[in-house]
Amino acid sequence: MAADGDYDVDQGARRDISREYFSRERLAEHHYRSFNAFLNRGMQRVVDEKETIDTDIGDKEGEEPVYVELGDVRIVTPRVREADGSEELLYPQEARLRNITYSAPVFMEMSIVKGGEEEEERVVDSTETKIGRMPIMVGSEKCNIAGFSDEELIDIGEDPADPGGYFIVNGSERVLMTSEDLAPNKILAEYDSKYGDEIQVAKTFSQRRGYRALVLCERTRDGLLEVSFPSVSGSVDFVTLVRALGLESDEEIVHKVSNDPEIVKYMLENLEMAEVQTEEEAIETLGKRVASGQGKNYQLKRANYVIDRYLLPHLHEEGVDEEDVRINKAHYLCRMAEACFELALGRRESDDKDHYANKRLKVSGDLMKDLFRTALNKLSRDVKYQLERANMRNRNLSVSTVVRSDVLTERLEHPIATGNWVGGRSGVSQLVDRTDFMGVLSHLRRLRSPLSRSQPHFEARDLHATQWGRICPSETPEGPNCGLVKNFAQAMELSQNVEDEQELKRELASMGVEGIPGLENTARTPADD
Amino acid sequence: MSVRMTGVPPTRCPECEGRLRPVGTELVCEECGLVTEGDVIDHGPEWRSFDRAERKRTGARLTRSRHDRGLSTRIGSGSRIRVTGRKRRQLARMCREQARARFETKADYNRMTGFTEIRRIVSQLSLPGAVREQACTLFESAQTEDLLVGRSLEGFAAAVVYATCRTRDIARTREEILEISRADGDELAAAYAALNRELGLPTGPIDPGVSSPVRLPARPRQRRRTPGRMVRTRPGRSRCPRRAEPERRRRGLSLRRRPPGRLRVDHPGDGCRRRRRLARDGPIDGRGDQSPRIRRCRR
Repeated sequence: MAADGDYDVDQGARRDISREYFSRERLAEHHYRSFNAFLNRGMQRVVDEKETIDTDIGDKEGEEPVYVELGDVRIVTPRVREADGSEELLYPQEARLRNITYSAPVFMEMSIVKGGEEEEERVVDSTETKIGRMPIMVGSEKCNIAGFSDEELIDIGEDPADPGGYFIVNGSERVLMTSEDLAPNKILAEYDSKYGDEIQVAKTFSQRRGYRALVLCERTRDGLLEVSFPSVSGSVDFVTLVRALGLESDEEIVHKVSNDPEIVKYMLENLEMAEVQTEEEAIETLGKRVASGQGKNYQLKRANYVIDRYLLPHLHEEGVDEEDVRINKAHYLCRMAEACFELALGRRESDDKDHYANKRLKVSGDLMKDLFRTALNKLSRDVKYQLERANMRNRNLSVSTVVRSDVLTERLEHPIATGNWVGGRSGVSQLVDRTDFMGVLSHLRRLRSPLSRSQPHFEARDLHATQWGRICPSETPEGPNCGLVKNFAQAMELSQNVEDEQELKRELASMGVEGIPGLENTARTPADD
Repeated sequence: MSVRMTGVPPTRCPECEGRLRPVGTELVCEECGLVTEGDVIDHGPEWRSFDRAERKRTGARLTRSRHDRGLSTRIGSGSRIRVTGRKRRQLARMCREQARARFETKADYNRMTGFTEIRRIVSQLSLPGAVREQACTLFESAQTEDLLVGRSLEGFAAAVVYATCRTRDIARTREEILEISRADGDELAAAYAALNRELGLPTGPIDPGVSSPVRLPARPRQRRRTPGRMVRTRPGRSRCPRRAEPERRRRGLSLRRRPPGRLRVDHPGDGCRRRRRLARDGPIDGRGDQSPRIRRCRR
């Protein structure tokens, strides 16, 4: 029992720490960090993923193929263009009063390249052009009031105590709701029931560049393993799929799954019932599944396409060859099979979906990244169309006549204004609750679960032990949202994604983590569970 | 009837100094009941009259910037209901066919092209939204008057935006528009000449002193005079509109934007000067059913 004097000092120190957590910068910190990361790295990464905009121009005879190369993207601070053409810096209060959007112009370098067939590739036109306007979060790095002192804020019409962290679209302040999801690229095992029997299922949400695919590996009641993934209706036999990916022999397959004798027994049962023996046969069977009734060539092509595109897409990374990727996919599937068997044998408990280690939060920057990706895709489709038409009418191709900036602007502003996000979610952006100061803070620190409000979801609504220190145990609404809408704890800090995964992997490899046998290059440690 | 004469809103009743309260659209004094201010002009967006029972709306506003005034329906692609397999392919095919079948005539298709180009120019120049509506309306009038025959669509789109800017006194030079547009100078000139001649636009010369504040572009641009000879109705005066101003001032005329005589651009290729044809009356302001404003020729 501490002496009274110690207790007082302790409390004073604790109060100071607590006060620090409530300084203005930290209240909406997760919003700022996420959005700043999006502006600094996320946007460029999305553009780099896209690389080029291809057109159909070169397909006809006598025409050179034309494509557009995308370069660096740059964003400035918000400004407003008046009717007479003058441009001035826009401050948040003016945006609120005039009902305009607090957005900044986005510039991108684009080069139109022609050639490749008969003649040399040459750059027809290359400029940095304005591709649209992006709404900017108040208080973020690119906000005009970032770094202002209290007096300057008052001069410009802002409240010094306002935490920021919201967007201003058409004059209304909108907050992007943080939402929680199951962690992607992780193997989760659970029990399920099919036709009344209890079966074991290993799931993984494989996510890459905004595309999220659910890959399932289930062990049916006869003990057979089946895998299901998008674009293939129903399930495919595990052995067939693994053979199609490159693991042919029985020993290889059994070895990769596990060395445990009981699991080996199960695997041998599976192998007995196998329909195919070689890789070619396996791909043919798969081809017949995905493209039934078409010619053989098309079936093979489609089977390869489906494997590369829809099965475990997260294993594709820069720097890894295609054949290695396939083997990695086979290894990953074997791990999923192992998880199923361990669950069946009782060696492993089914994963707790409410455990916060299995959850990730999508904050405003991540949401904006998804939005930007879709908007950029729409813009490229429009640019492609405009290029083709300009070419058809024999006009000079130039960047400034081909880019329509309102396409991107509308695609970015509309979801924030209405709340309907790409991917069909609605209610993502909400009007900031300005009832009082506490209301604002609470709204900015809110967490939403995507589960449906009308279902009971008892476990999801319960207070979980891992919420200690992270999520407030008492602040949750009464009624249908109880336990699904949560609020951050006072001292909560959100960790961010690593900037450069390759560097992380090199570091791990140098510390002694072994790669998958078969991969000579120890610098490439493929994604693990 | 409004009691108020000046522009300052009253705070107390002028007769009894009582407090004013808004009742409906009027400001009424609480003590003596005097109606101080009645705003007869409704500034809201609701401009069509409905019986209370039948007021129903579906879809977005009517707008003149779409080739069908925003009335068409498109089969949407992002539906909540998951369609898979054969149904999905069927739906995709229907969507494509319906999108193709939207244009009945070539004129519709040209209109769509023109509108797209107008929209692009307006957004690149960051012009206000009303400019887009008015420009599209002007384009449609031009198309109905058969001015598009033999002239380029891109040129017309650029000319129409230019004309709208001139009409609204928003200063945009031809170079600025040409930089963005796909047309070249000749096409714009031909189209603009046709517009001016046939439709009679109420434009005046661009006065840089009044309409554009100091604006520092990346490269300073030279403001050129508009090409083509300006034929004035009074011969022997300066041909340049800017230099004509001090003359007008000297002659005691007011510095009005719109000179009393018609400014006709003599298009070099035209043999005869056709009289301006008729125009329909009514204000142009981009609102759905009302016709575009093209003033009657004052001759």
